[in-house]
Amino acid sequence: MQNAKDSFYMALRTRLVVINPERIILLRGTVRPGILVEEAEAPFSQTPSDVFLLRWHGLGIELNLASSMAAGECEILYQTCGTQTFGGLDRGRSLSEMDEELMAMLQPFYTPKLNYTASPPATMLTQVFWDEPALTPIATQRDQLSRSAKVVVYSYQEQGE
Amino acid sequence: MASTWYSAPAPVTRRVRAYLAPVNRATATPTLFDPSEQGGFSLDNPPAPWVSLGWIQDFNRKSGSRTSSVLSGIPAAPLEQVRETLQAQVSLQFLSWTKLTMALATGSQHMNLLVPASGASTSADGAPAVSAVSVQSGSTALFIMLAAADAAKFAPGSIVALDADYTGQTGFVGAPISGAYVRQALSDVDYIRRVTFNVALVSEVNSTGLILAEPLPGGAPVAGAKLQAVTGFVDREGGCFYQEWSALFVMQGSQGERIFFHYPRLQPMVSAEESSIPLSGKSPSGHARVQLKAQFLALPVTDPLDGERVLCYRSFLPAPNALV
Repeated sequence: MQNAKDSFYMALRTRLVVINPERIILLRGTVRPGILVEEAEAPFSQTPSDVFLLRWHGLGIELNLASSMAAGECEILYQTCGTQTFGGLDRGRSLSEMDEELMAMLQPFYTPKLNYTASPPATMLTQVFWDEPALTPIATQRDQLSRSAKVVVYSYQEQGE
Repeated sequence: MASTWYSAPAPVTRRVRAYLAPVNRATATPTLFDPSEQGGFSLDNPPAPWVSLGWIQDFNRKSGSRTSSVLSGIPAAPLEQVRETLQAQVSLQFLSWTKLTMALATGSQHMNLLVPASGASTSADGAPAVSAVSVQSGSTALFIMLAAADAAKFAPGSIVALDADYTGQTGFVGAPISGAYVRQALSDVDYIRRVTFNVALVSEVNSTGLILAEPLPGGAPVAGAKLQAVTGFVDREGGCFYQEWSALFVMQGSQGERIFFHYPRLQPMVSAEESSIPLSGKSPSGHARVQLKAQFLALPVTDPLDGERVLCYRSFLPAPNALV
């Protein structure tokens, strides 16, 4: 499933760069697209705002198939306080922008599976695919709005995986 | 050595997409889809003359074909099988209301409500219409050339219908898609434009004509075609005309494989019917989406390959690298 998780993240990241190149984060001295995998970063004392954070949860395997199918649940969390320019009064708009970016990032609902442990990444034989996201209600904490979306990501296990 | 193949499980699909193309009713010639040549087409840009109907829901195929056994011996035992009847039906729900989906989801003629002339007497399927304007030569499926004075009569956002004047003929009318069958001569010069499928939305107007937001389903207007504005559409419970279309349904698999169901001849077999789908499961009495329900009967064609009569072709283009 790791190749599928990597491919899913890289697909979303590549798409985000096109959708909104200004959504970036400065992390460990490097400017990166504003989308992170929680388990691949140092623990956050505070969840970063205005970026997408991927958190992997459950895993299921369907073995009774010609190729086993793995399904991983990914939660995509995002939050915002709006912009300083508007004193945070635009936080609702900022969250709506992130909603729209998320929807755009998730389409199309598939991407080629690549092995990112190889250099350059090796294209594998199958595609990773996923369902429509299930969005949670907005959570408000003082001046911060947050939301998450759960997506089930599917992948066929190939030889060597 | 890295593997170059994998064993593909059953295709996983999300949705079904529908396309249709005209059947030449006068010559009973359907439009054929060749999956070997055309199977890789972009789902948003089907090969001409196929027209996309968008995504559909509750796509259901049902075979009514029956076989029976020829029995022989004592006690009787099957000697061989024979195909007794050949029948198939397709049902689905459209996710949009357009000229084409509405027409397909009704059992008979589907008519355009032409903009009425000032003071015209009322009629359930549209009052006598404002006079049509002539389409000039050089028009295409996306651009309608008009005299400047005629173009000024239309505005962006108008819906227009284009076809020839009705001149008293009988038989199938509407080009190239037949919209009705006239059994006895009528008196309405606009009748063909009332039933034509050559309908589109105007996106821009300039002094030379109209730019359409989408191509005319029937392609460039025929010589002598005229243009009238349309306010909407109407169909009737009743009538004895059966539309006929060539249809193509596509399931796109998660690994890039494709399943095609090609019905060369489909006729709607039930009258207009809708279903209401509540937008929220928590509020079944709240807002509901009204979806058009359609059910079709498949008619046979004779396959020139071997002379067999068939109702439907099911094709499968496997995923790249998948074992076959």
